[in-house]
Amino acid sequence: MKKTTALAAALLVGVSFTTQANAQALTVDPAIAPYKKVSGVSGSLKSIGSDTLNNLMTLWAEGYNAMYPNVKIEIEGKGSSTAPPALIAGTSQFGPMSRPMKAKEIEDFEKKNGYKPSAIRSAVDALAVFVHKDNPIQCLSLQQVDAIFSKTRKGGAPKQAATWGDAGLTGDWANKPVSLYGRNSASGTYGYFKEEALFNGDYSDSVKEQPGSSAVVQGVASDKYAIGYSGVGYKTADVRTVPISKKPGEKCYDANAENAYSGNYPIARFLYVYLNKNPNQAMEPLRGEFVRYVFSKEGQTVVLKDGFFPVTSAIAHEDLAKLGLK
Amino acid sequence: MNPGDMMEAVAVKPATRVTETRRSYESSLSARGEPFLWGFGGALAFGVLLVVGFLVLVTWNGITTFWPKPIHVVTLISGDLVAGEPTRSEPFKVGPERMASLSEAAKAKIANDGGFAHRVLLRTGNFDLYNDDFRWVEDYKIEKTEKPVGMFFIERQEWGAFVGGIKALSKDGATIAGEELSLDLLHKEHQAARRRFDAIHDIEKGAIGDVNYEMNQERLKIRKAVLKYGDNAPEVRVVEAEVEREASALRGRFDALAAKAQEIKGEDAKVQVVLNDINGTEKTMPLSLIVRFYPANELSGLDKIGIYLSRWGEFLVDDPREANTEGGVLPAIFGTFAMTLLMVLVVAPFGVVTALYLREYAKQGKLVSVVRISVNNLAGVPSIVYGVFGLGFFAYIVGGGIDALFYPERLPNPTFGTGGLLWAALTLALLTVPVVIVATEEALAAVPKSMREGSLACGASKWQTIRNIVLPRAMPGIMTGLILAMARGAGEVAPLMLVGVVKLAPELPIDGFWPFVHLERSFMHLGFHIFDVGFQSRNSEAGKPMVFVTTLLLIALIAVMNATAVVIRNRLKRKFMVGHF
Repeated sequence: MKKTTALAAALLVGVSFTTQANAQALTVDPAIAPYKKVSGVSGSLKSIGSDTLNNLMTLWAEGYNAMYPNVKIEIEGKGSSTAPPALIAGTSQFGPMSRPMKAKEIEDFEKKNGYKPSAIRSAVDALAVFVHKDNPIQCLSLQQVDAIFSKTRKGGAPKQAATWGDAGLTGDWANKPVSLYGRNSASGTYGYFKEEALFNGDYSDSVKEQPGSSAVVQGVASDKYAIGYSGVGYKTADVRTVPISKKPGEKCYDANAENAYSGNYPIARFLYVYLNKNPNQAMEPLRGEFVRYVFSKEGQTVVLKDGFFPVTSAIAHEDLAKLGLK
Repeated sequence: MNPGDMMEAVAVKPATRVTETRRSYESSLSARGEPFLWGFGGALAFGVLLVVGFLVLVTWNGITTFWPKPIHVVTLISGDLVAGEPTRSEPFKVGPERMASLSEAAKAKIANDGGFAHRVLLRTGNFDLYNDDFRWVEDYKIEKTEKPVGMFFIERQEWGAFVGGIKALSKDGATIAGEELSLDLLHKEHQAARRRFDAIHDIEKGAIGDVNYEMNQERLKIRKAVLKYGDNAPEVRVVEAEVEREASALRGRFDALAAKAQEIKGEDAKVQVVLNDINGTEKTMPLSLIVRFYPANELSGLDKIGIYLSRWGEFLVDDPREANTEGGVLPAIFGTFAMTLLMVLVVAPFGVVTALYLREYAKQGKLVSVVRISVNNLAGVPSIVYGVFGLGFFAYIVGGGIDALFYPERLPNPTFGTGGLLWAALTLALLTVPVVIVATEEALAAVPKSMREGSLACGASKWQTIRNIVLPRAMPGIMTGLILAMARGAGEVAPLMLVGVVKLAPELPIDGFWPFVHLERSFMHLGFHIFDVGFQSRNSEAGKPMVFVTTLLLIALIAVMNATAVVIRNRLKRKFMVGHF
């Protein structure tokens, strides 16, 4: 849970954020300035990494391209685990990841380059637990989520939740088996969920592993007794998100921006973009301006467009300063 | 007696015998093979049914996608208004927790229907206002549904569709609204706005693109000189000076173009349109960012056909936008076509030469049998294995080698050392070569031995015999093999994901710059596009129709390529028939 608190703390620093509940559209932190165009930016970029961030990177690329008509950007998104090798080999300039790099990956990077990779926290995602829209379940604790998805139950649940009755539903639903949908193991979402919601336990063997976040949502949408997890941005009208509580008996919070920022929603995370920056050299304008664009009003509006939550100006400033872009 | 009558006679005869001698009925049934006939016929019918069912499903969904639908405005009992295109509807069982909040009348109605109610999915659009673009509406919540006039369906360059009214148009500071804002005026202004948009696009993508390309080439010249002469050599200074001259000229061109684009943009920003959704929330945006708009409930049949065709046109010739969920698929069509063609160019000679050697030259023995078995086994290797091989061998080893030798100035950015059109085509060629070998061998075997011997007896050499006698006669069979290989290759996606297909390729593999065909570039592919839009797009509901349309297009593309090959084959056959009196 350490990471979640860190996220909440980071987001709360100097935030004057007014997010209204659901129905109203979210807005970008007004303290984040619009992007200012500079001259002399051209060249080609390649991004290899997370599939959760695939659409976001594509939308950023489209936006950046509109500013600088002939920057060429290529996007490949096959899972967060594909980002570090590509960055290390130099085949990509950006490595979008939906989880932080593991120690091993950082070490490999350092061995090749002599310094650590840099990361920007480009957006916030509340990892949502989806159920079919007709499912009446109102609240799940992380322990219950663990009992549903894991076979090791490190969260301390007394028994595996095999039916919806075990998860607290009554009536018709009580004896219906729970049908599990999840991501494939190359995915950062898979890793993050395992760490946070499964307490580092193992997934149950009956999880149907899907090749994309959207596929998880489609699976849940077409299976009445299903439950699955993926980024909240992929929500459709056919599924609903289940409010989650940290501990059994505590208040449940829905997967929305407000709860993600406050840290009340237990499985919110940052979406990272990793890059190779030599600490002794200034970043060249091609990549530097991209990072600036991501942290501009336009870039963060794109985050909203893709269904994720924008970062606050405090985070944007901090990350820009870290890369020497202030 | 024609053959048909004869068959009838044969068929009738045993039947009459059965009626005469009933005792032998059971044994004669299987003896006549009647159950097998039904079994085979049934299997064929089942197979045909599956294929036809699949094609009908894809075609129907694909064809209807672009047809403009009306906009329903639903007044809920709570007083809220919801506007949107009805997408689909379904009955559902109302759970007790939903029942609790309902009125008595609604409860009675649901109880009357056996606990079921109906709901409809409305495409409400306006994602920027609602954070949502689809909404289910249950029938017990609805007070009334109308199709009012003045509701527009507006396709935008960004943020997806807008459903609502067009309130005003502001042009050069003046606002046109109410009665004055006629549909004709809107269309006129919109056309002008789109022309400006296209002009900006042409400058930015076309002209500025060319300048940037040249600028990049100049930059590479310096790198190349540094690599060749060393860091501080005088030659490098010479090149640098030269590049600087060129670059400053290019910068001048760039500035002029950028200024021109900026000028059009400034003009464009003066024409804004004010949209309002069903609840009156306003949204102001430049008119040029509207792709298409139409009053959904006031369309004549002809209008609908016009919109339908214009949507198809956009789909076929435009670039994708909004992370591939909207716009067109031209780069993907192009990529699929180019890759398949290149694959055929590689696989045809390799497959045919291998088969020729195996059948005509090699001494038939154990070794050849082993080779043949290996070839057949190759056809059974999972395609993803080819993908891994293609990435490891072609891209990393061969491509890496090419980069180190010929493109050192671009490193560490790989040129050939990563997936690309060439490697994808080679990988697929490897994947389909067994099909061609087997088909060619069969075709060669079918050429009568007497013809070869006749040719040889006339004094022709072995190669002359093969070239003039054997190959022409085997050609139709070889073409069949190629057609099969092509169909398999064009539909394959899994290995391509490893060797060069990307979600968004910035350039087509063929353009106006030397050497015109850029085999090292990564490309887009219809098959991957289907996978991407279907399983990776943010809103799978909105992506679904695109999946069907793209599938339809891919099937059509393969059908066209196959049909072309079949026509060529038939020509060859006819030629052969003429030569054979």
